Amino acid sequence: MSSTSQKHKDFVAEPMGEKPVMALAGIGEVLGKRLEEKGFDKAYVVLGQFLVLKKDEELFRDWLKDTCGANAKQQGDCYGCLKEWVHGFMS
Amino acid sequence: MASAQLTDEELFSQLKRLGFTPGPVTENTRPVYLKKLKKLREEQQQRGSRVLKSRASTAVSTAVSIAAPRPSRHDVTQLSAIRKPGRKSSVLGFSSDESDAETPLKRKGLAKHRRITPCHQQLAGPTDKQNIAGTTLNLFSSPLDHHQSVHESSRHYDESGDEGEEEPESPHSVNGREVTGLNKTAGEYSDSDEDGVLSGDRERNLPEPRRSRTAAPISPSDNRDSQVKGKNSSPNPPGFRKMVRAEDEEVNGEEVDPFGGSQRYARKSIYVSLAEQRGAKAGKNHFDSEDGAARSNSGARFSVGLRPRFSGYSSPAQTHKGNHSNHSPPPNHAYSPTAPKKKLSVPEDELLLQFRREEPASSGSFSAHYLSMFLLTTACLFFLLLGLMYLRMRGSVEADGVIKRHPFGSEFDQSYVEEEKELILTLLLSLHNHLAVVAGQHDCGDPQHPNRSLSMNQSATYLQAQNQEFERFTLVALEWIIRTDQELGLRLLGEDPHVPVTDVSEISQLESTHPRMPFTCRLRKAFVTVGSKVVLVAAAAAMVWGVVRYLKFRWRRQEEETRQMYDMVERIIDVLRTHGEACQENQDLLPYLPIPHVRDSLVLPQDRKKMKKIWGRAVCFLSANESRIRTETQRIGGADFLVWRWIQPSLSCDKANPMPSKVWQGQAFPLDRRNSPPNSLTPCLKIRNMFDPVMEVGENWDLAIHEAILEKCSDNDGIVHIAVDKNSREGCVYVKCLTAEHSGKAFKALHGSWFDGKLVTVKYLRLDRYHQRFPQAQACSTPLKASSLRLSSTPSQQRASSAS
Repeated sequence: MSSTSQKHKDFVAEPMGEKPVMALAGIGEVLGKRLEEKGFDKAYVVLGQFLVLKKDEELFRDWLKDTCGANAKQQGDCYGCLKEWVHGFMS
Repeated sequence: MASAQLTDEELFSQLKRLGFTPGPVTENTRPVYLKKLKKLREEQQQRGSRVLKSRASTAVSTAVSIAAPRPSRHDVTQLSAIRKPGRKSSVLGFSSDESDAETPLKRKGLAKHRRITPCHQQLAGPTDKQNIAGTTLNLFSSPLDHHQSVHESSRHYDESGDEGEEEPESPHSVNGREVTGLNKTAGEYSDSDEDGVLSGDRERNLPEPRRSRTAAPISPSDNRDSQVKGKNSSPNPPGFRKMVRAEDEEVNGEEVDPFGGSQRYARKSIYVSLAEQRGAKAGKNHFDSEDGAARSNSGARFSVGLRPRFSGYSSPAQTHKGNHSNHSPPPNHAYSPTAPKKKLSVPEDELLLQFRREEPASSGSFSAHYLSMFLLTTACLFFLLLGLMYLRMRGSVEADGVIKRHPFGSEFDQSYVEEEKELILTLLLSLHNHLAVVAGQHDCGDPQHPNRSLSMNQSATYLQAQNQEFERFTLVALEWIIRTDQELGLRLLGEDPHVPVTDVSEISQLESTHPRMPFTCRLRKAFVTVGSKVVLVAAAAAMVWGVVRYLKFRWRRQEEETRQMYDMVERIIDVLRTHGEACQENQDLLPYLPIPHVRDSLVLPQDRKKMKKIWGRAVCFLSANESRIRTETQRIGGADFLVWRWIQPSLSCDKANPMPSKVWQGQAFPLDRRNSPPNSLTPCLKIRNMFDPVMEVGENWDLAIHEAILEKCSDNDGIVHIAVDKNSREGCVYVKCLTAEHSGKAFKALHGSWFDGKLVTVKYLRLDRYHQRFPQAQACSTPLKASSLRLSSTPSQQRASSAS
């Protein structure tokens, strides 16, 4: 069982509201910047993409990788973070 | 993105057809779904049969059509548009598996891309990809289109998300380039790498028509594509294959083909078999349904030629993939997902290739094997025959009835009549033979003939028995023998064996000088002689060898002992030093240690007897050579002991120097199952990247390292030994813990942490290796504690954050 980071815990603890995309677990400054350049400036936009991809892990990870060059760990973190958030706030 | 591309709906339906329900295909999700489609196709293809030929050809043709329409680097739309139709056409005519072309194409492209990169690095070009493409073009004709298109494709992928197009592009261009190279050295390659040449040739042909069309990018290529499409329209695989073949040949025919048709045909045969495999694999990569065939064809074609090299080069390709990624992340996206897929097919290809190559080899080797055996047997027989003949000759040399030649000279001839001569000679011959037999048997130990020689009477009797007329001539013959100077094989002995006989009357014994022993006897004697000689030689060699071994053994044992002694000395010094330092701090301790106590603490009880000698030597060594230790006699607890006193002034002055600022700066990543072993494996750890030996200043930076580690693991009281490898470039530190559990804790604390600006990694070491390296650690069992309790090496605040 991999432990979750503080970022993850912080993110899934409350509604994301207008949090920036950098608040997502796995997304730091560099990746966040890249995502913003592509138009994903807020965490909820990435959430939107996640939902559009039907919460499919593989697709989302691929997308993340293609969009901002996240490595496997970052992808995993981000996916896990969003998944848990969705589980907590959208089910 | 115009009509020619796979529209969203088409992509959607493709995915659905493959059993996957996608979400909406939007601009953002498009690339992801394209990738997914590719992957699904690949899976399908792997399950399906392999039909390479048609694919290969179509792939090539597709490649041609695809490569052609890329005039400008930035004309992404055009490129994609053009690509689509080309691919589409090939896909349509493609065999049952739609996904065929894509995978191999992609894979090939990637592999080739990478592979070619190293080869063509020297070619100038802004980027690697361009180089790759450029080479082809430079070699063949239009320079920039290809590599631009290639580059475009890779870039394309990233920007437009049209990844499928990218893959075929690169392989195409790559292949073309490869072809170029191949074509240049066709002679060399054709034998060894027929496939490559084949594909290369084809590809060469393909780019050429494309190039010609580059000027009018879209429409001609469209036309061509439609042509291809039309040709490939029949979905029947064999039919398609034929058509593709025909098209291929047409393509080939169009171009000026320096290599000539013969090569092509030769290659084609190989192509067929290989193409099967390749095409199937290639096809899988294509994800677009319509375009799949085209792409797969081109891919297959490429794959056919590329595969052999591909598999061979997959490893360099992979490394180059890394290089590529360094250059530009976007293209990296394209490559990385396909790389693993490529890898899957590579081993199969390699196997196939090896299998094929082995077949011709084996048939050749068979004949070679038989030939060698035949030669061997012939040689053996020859020698056997020779031996037999020799033996027979030896035996038969005196079988002549009439002796024509005789050693008596012309005088003999003159004095006697013919028949008398003959009689005399025959007499002598028989006498000679008889004597020889007698002598031989005597030599062999035959009890019948105690004497080697025959007396006169016996000879006379024998001769008479042979032939009555011999009697007359016996003496005459013997006289002649005396007279002659030549060696006849008969020796005439008088009373005194050493005096030569001068007259017939003196003869008393006759002896043969050429004893003829029976065959078995001779053989036996030969064996005995040879055997005894061999035994002698062997005995001598064995003796020498035994002596050498013994010497080596002795020498090695001495070395071992010396090493152990030094080791012991070191341990003693360590113990004394630590004790001395401890005494510095704690004034209550006695500043000396009794020698027996030291010994008993360093040497395990069961080893004491064994180590006695070594211990003795160590003690002597210390007293003679170690200046920091003084041996003296002290009274401890009422008994006199020989003690050692450590007399080096302590290093407290050094401690006063500020330690280099080595601080722990946080954790780089949380340790989870992925990046750390699930359970700690051994109690020994190897920590890497804690320092840089060239950068270290000061004398005691290794102590600082010790401290740092102990502080970091301050909650872990199981560290018993730390060793800093000062000379390692990687900055290695070795740590031994009491148990595996402790080492696991230390691992968690250390692995992935930042220390002094470097990311520290930890791995487990085998205990025996550790002890081999640090024998003194075997005896350490006291947990080490950080000397300064103030946590100087941990930062006050840290934020563990995932890599950003």
